[in-house]
Amino acid sequence: MGATEHISTAFEADLDTTRTRVLQMGGLVEAQILAAINAYVTGDAELIRQVIENDARVNGYEVAIDGACNQIVVRRQPAASDLRLIMAISKIVTDLERMGDEAKKIAKMAKQLHDQSTPTAQRFPAIRHAAETAVKMLRQALDAFARLDVAVAAEVLKEDSEIDAEFKSVLRELITYMMEDPRTITPALGTVWVAKAVERIGDHAKNVAEQVIYIVRGTDVRHTSFEDIERELSKE
Amino acid sequence: MTPLELILGLVAAALGWLAWRDWREFRKLQRWAAQPRLTDPPEADGEWGEVFNDLHRHRRATLHRRRQLAQLIVRSRRGAEALPYGVAVLDGKYRLNWCNEAAHAHFGLDPERDRGQAIGNFVREPEFVEYLTAGDFSQPVRLESTRMRRQTLSLQIVSFGQEEHLLLSQDVTGAARMEEMRRDFVSNVSHELRTPLTVLSGFLETIHDLKLDATRVRDYTGLMVPQAERMTRLIEDLLTLSSLEHAPAPPPADRIAIRPLLERVRQEAVALSKNRHRVLLAVEGAHDLAGVEGEIASVFLNLVTNAVRYTPENGEVHIRWRSGEDGAEFSVEDTGIGIDPEHLPRLTERFYRVDRSRSRETGGTGLGLSIVKHALARHNAVLEVDSVPGKGSRFSTRFSATRLLAMPREAKV
Repeated sequence: MGATEHISTAFEADLDTTRTRVLQMGGLVEAQILAAINAYVTGDAELIRQVIENDARVNGYEVAIDGACNQIVVRRQPAASDLRLIMAISKIVTDLERMGDEAKKIAKMAKQLHDQSTPTAQRFPAIRHAAETAVKMLRQALDAFARLDVAVAAEVLKEDSEIDAEFKSVLRELITYMMEDPRTITPALGTVWVAKAVERIGDHAKNVAEQVIYIVRGTDVRHTSFEDIERELSKE
Repeated sequence: MTPLELILGLVAAALGWLAWRDWREFRKLQRWAAQPRLTDPPEADGEWGEVFNDLHRHRRATLHRRRQLAQLIVRSRRGAEALPYGVAVLDGKYRLNWCNEAAHAHFGLDPERDRGQAIGNFVREPEFVEYLTAGDFSQPVRLESTRMRRQTLSLQIVSFGQEEHLLLSQDVTGAARMEEMRRDFVSNVSHELRTPLTVLSGFLETIHDLKLDATRVRDYTGLMVPQAERMTRLIEDLLTLSSLEHAPAPPPADRIAIRPLLERVRQEAVALSKNRHRVLLAVEGAHDLAGVEGEIASVFLNLVTNAVRYTPENGEVHIRWRSGEDGAEFSVEDTGIGIDPEHLPRLTERFYRVDRSRSRETGGTGLGLSIVKHALARHNAVLEVDSVPGKGSRFSTRFSATRLLAMPREAKV
């Protein structure tokens, strides 16, 4: 890949720094999601406050990296794979920022749920599990981005369906609770929001993985079924 | 041919031969010098031979040194590999040069593939990013790993040589958890003792400051007694726990008559339940247990009273003992509120409460299951818990056959 071919140029140095910053932003988002889910499970007020506060840092990264991308495009006029990298970074950063927003949303919902002193049965282990899968997807997508590893990126695309299935099962379970006891409706609705946020995080992780494939192969795999993508990738 | 011509001819021939020989040896040397590592230097007679021999000796010595150095590198790599710490060698710009197996486990680094990548591309935890940007490496930084679930890592950067760095990482999960437990323990004990003490001193002040008639005083002291009892119970439990912890010697193998003991436990459970639950006892097998009666009694009592406390009215508590050739099993099963799986691993921690508001009102000290765990450990047994939230829990333990004694005749039914 580009990074090893002409390390010495200032242009490469710019690209490398930007890449590292994207990954650092990703690391912050990973931590935010994990903290938000912990806050949802424990109701720890301090943790909730931290997640909400740290979202500003995520946004700061987005603005800074976008600015750096614009600088590179204007000053270096990159072409081919370098241009693809810049375009992809710009999209990845947007996805990461959205994931940060979802984490903040979960934290806010955690506060509400615990303020209403929801019975413990409403905190679903299934949500934690789905969230851990989502964080794993994000981690793999970021690793794939660092290594420009198409195979790992393709794996991430496959895992997204797992989260979707889990989201549906949480919904079904919540419906049975709500039918049994109408008093659970308010907290159950809150829980739906949390589950939905987790599901969205999975979707964004998938987008990041798609951008990695775009950087390496130059093929746009958005809105394509996983089977078609697999066929496309195995061609070369 | 004149003699002069002859001499000249011979000289020319000799010179020609010499030139031809030098050219030939030079070609040999040239061929060898193109790949001096693979083959020995050429051989020859005379002065060429001497030069070649010197080269030969020199080559031998170099090869020997090279082998020694290679072995040294292999040995030190193996040493670094065997370290219980993660080690990553970084260049001046914190890019990866090499890392060992533990670093791979901690950060998912691949020493071949990820060579030359910034370390921050893989170690992405925000705490580390801050540590790296701040540039003060005198202290290690502690962080929750995002790669390994619920693991705490301690990371430190050590600079060496010219613009080179080591990233050392260590899994400190165990230590972090111990620290947390110790902190929790102290604050929990203080809290548990202060609550009844506040009530006590409040009443004492009232009685002291106001002139109260005898009945009021009696009312107040009546309210003070349970608080004092609670403090006593707590301190007794703490003492039990500490004596269990500090007496690691195996308990003397006294005979514990199981049937009467279990019957007594059942009666206590019934008394606590005040007939709001069905408490059932089933004993199978004709063995007694060898151990310390007081400790085993407190195990049984703790488990059974817990079952009664956490089971709603009209629920059932089953106490079972089954002994045979392969050992004995004691279990308490209830139809109570159950326990979320996330709490199970921490249940036996001191003062660990699943639901803080609930357990204190039911009168527990928060130490029961810790006592159970330690007392069982001294009898080579382990506590097992199965629980389904909302359905009920089952606490059980197995004693090995070596701890069983046949019941004396008259005890058999």
